[in-house]
Amino acid sequence: MKNKSSLLKKDILHLAKLANLKLSGVEITKYEKQFKQTLDYIDNLDKLKTDKIPTTDHVVNLTNVTFDDGKPNVRGLTQEQALTNTKKKGRGYFVVPKVL
Amino acid sequence: MKLLGKSLTELKTLVEKKEVSCEEIFEYFSKRVKKYNNGLNAFLTIQENEVKNTLPVAFKDNFCTKDILTTASSKVLDKYIPPYNATVVERLLNTGYFVQGKTNMDAWAHGASTETSDYGNTKNPWDHARYPGGSSGGSAAAVAAYLTPVAIGSDTGGSIRHPSSWCGVVGLKPTYGRVSRYGVIAMGSSLDCPGPMSLFVEDIALIMQAIAGKDSYDATTASIKVPNYFKSLTQPRKLRIGVPEDYFEGVDEQIKKKVDRCIDRLKKMGHEIKKVKLLSPKYAISVYTILQRAEVSSNLARYDGIRYGNDRTYFGEEAKRRIMLGTYVLSHGYYDAYYKNAQTVRTVIIEDFKRVFKDVDIVVGPNTPVTALKIGEFAKYPFFGELMDQLNEPASVAGIPALSVPVGLDKNNLPIGMQIIGNYFDEETILNAAYQIQKETDYFGVTKKNLEKYPD
Repeated sequence: MKNKSSLLKKDILHLAKLANLKLSGVEITKYEKQFKQTLDYIDNLDKLKTDKIPTTDHVVNLTNVTFDDGKPNVRGLTQEQALTNTKKKGRGYFVVPKVL
Repeated sequence: MKLLGKSLTELKTLVEKKEVSCEEIFEYFSKRVKKYNNGLNAFLTIQENEVKNTLPVAFKDNFCTKDILTTASSKVLDKYIPPYNATVVERLLNTGYFVQGKTNMDAWAHGASTETSDYGNTKNPWDHARYPGGSSGGSAAAVAAYLTPVAIGSDTGGSIRHPSSWCGVVGLKPTYGRVSRYGVIAMGSSLDCPGPMSLFVEDIALIMQAIAGKDSYDATTASIKVPNYFKSLTQPRKLRIGVPEDYFEGVDEQIKKKVDRCIDRLKKMGHEIKKVKLLSPKYAISVYTILQRAEVSSNLARYDGIRYGNDRTYFGEEAKRRIMLGTYVLSHGYYDAYYKNAQTVRTVIIEDFKRVFKDVDIVVGPNTPVTALKIGEFAKYPFFGELMDQLNEPASVAGIPALSVPVGLDKNNLPIGMQIIGNYFDEETILNAAYQIQKETDYFGVTKKNLEKYPD
């Protein structure tokens, strides 16, 4: 396990990149302090013995819930409806920034 | 006819008996909104035109409403007009209600103050210099000032119960999976629970009857049969009530006193009061913080400004902080230490509640550690929102239902809430207990005093 409870400026910049967020210098300094506080608090979980306990993935344990094949999706959107909130569209499609 | 302070249930009956028309009710609430909303900032959007033969219900602004602006109080969704309705909205439209308006909230439902809204803070109807709580602060304030008979909120870590408590109204967070999340702007997908808020328990039952149950568009909803909530209100039941000592730790003395007073009344009414031992809420806070941040980072990743809304530069400070921490706890090398560990402790918390519910029907305790703070005071509390919700988060993490009822006022005349926590899918017992309290105590005069502040 890597060292928990410390997030340096470079870590914060890396996380911002992963999360596609632009942060100001003030924000970075602030978050550095605040994250430490939060991470110190949540370390209390290490005090509980949980070696043999399974994880909870759904609180009421539903498994393999699927939509009936062939059942009409009455609430699906038409192409036109799906495009109503976009700023850029062309020939019935979303226009996205160039990636290559 | 004098309509002030009538429950939605009463309004419905009056309409059925033709003693009052839907049109009159529409006009009545429109007038009240015009009179009081400027001061409170509870509604962000208001329906201007009457929808024939239907009764008003307000919705928190994170419920998608077809052709009606839906922002989640964030500038990222500044002009977003959903092309579809959330299931909760759809079900209420199909049972005789209309969207009266959309209520203010903490942006993306992140917070317990409603101050992180990009459209200004909602004011507490009891004292405009204070927070209404949050994140469903607009819904709670609208109900408290009787600008609407019922408002729908969403509760991820206390967002219905916390503002209900601070504004002196009744609010229910149902069992996770009892009410569909389809069309609710996602925050913490394993925690989000839509639920109703009103001045009266019978309205909570009435609305739950319409919105609860399996939805094929939300795979996490359960197929368990929906009981007759309304009928369960009036059943003469003597309950076994658990009181967990750890939930009183660090709570303001005045709150403890008023909650104790209500517990004494329950005892006098013939219910059995039992001390119970539950895991300290401090573990639930940690589990909640990890899971919620992780789910936020994943859910808010979709906002790129391409298909709808503005780009990511429009996120406020709170959302960014949560996305960042969520990205961290899910990142390579830390996933086991944080996320997986939290999912394991979640099992411990669930088992802890299951053990206690073998001995008692409900668990009661305070809902918030303090009454409504003054606007600006939240900044003084480090790691603030979570500690405000310390008593709400255990039920959220476990996914069990919980409701807040008013049990009195503090010396500043601010409402105090008591939380009633129930077993999985046992909203019936919670509603039965709350209705007994309502009948027996009239909420210790809180509702009456509240309505006096907002005359027609």
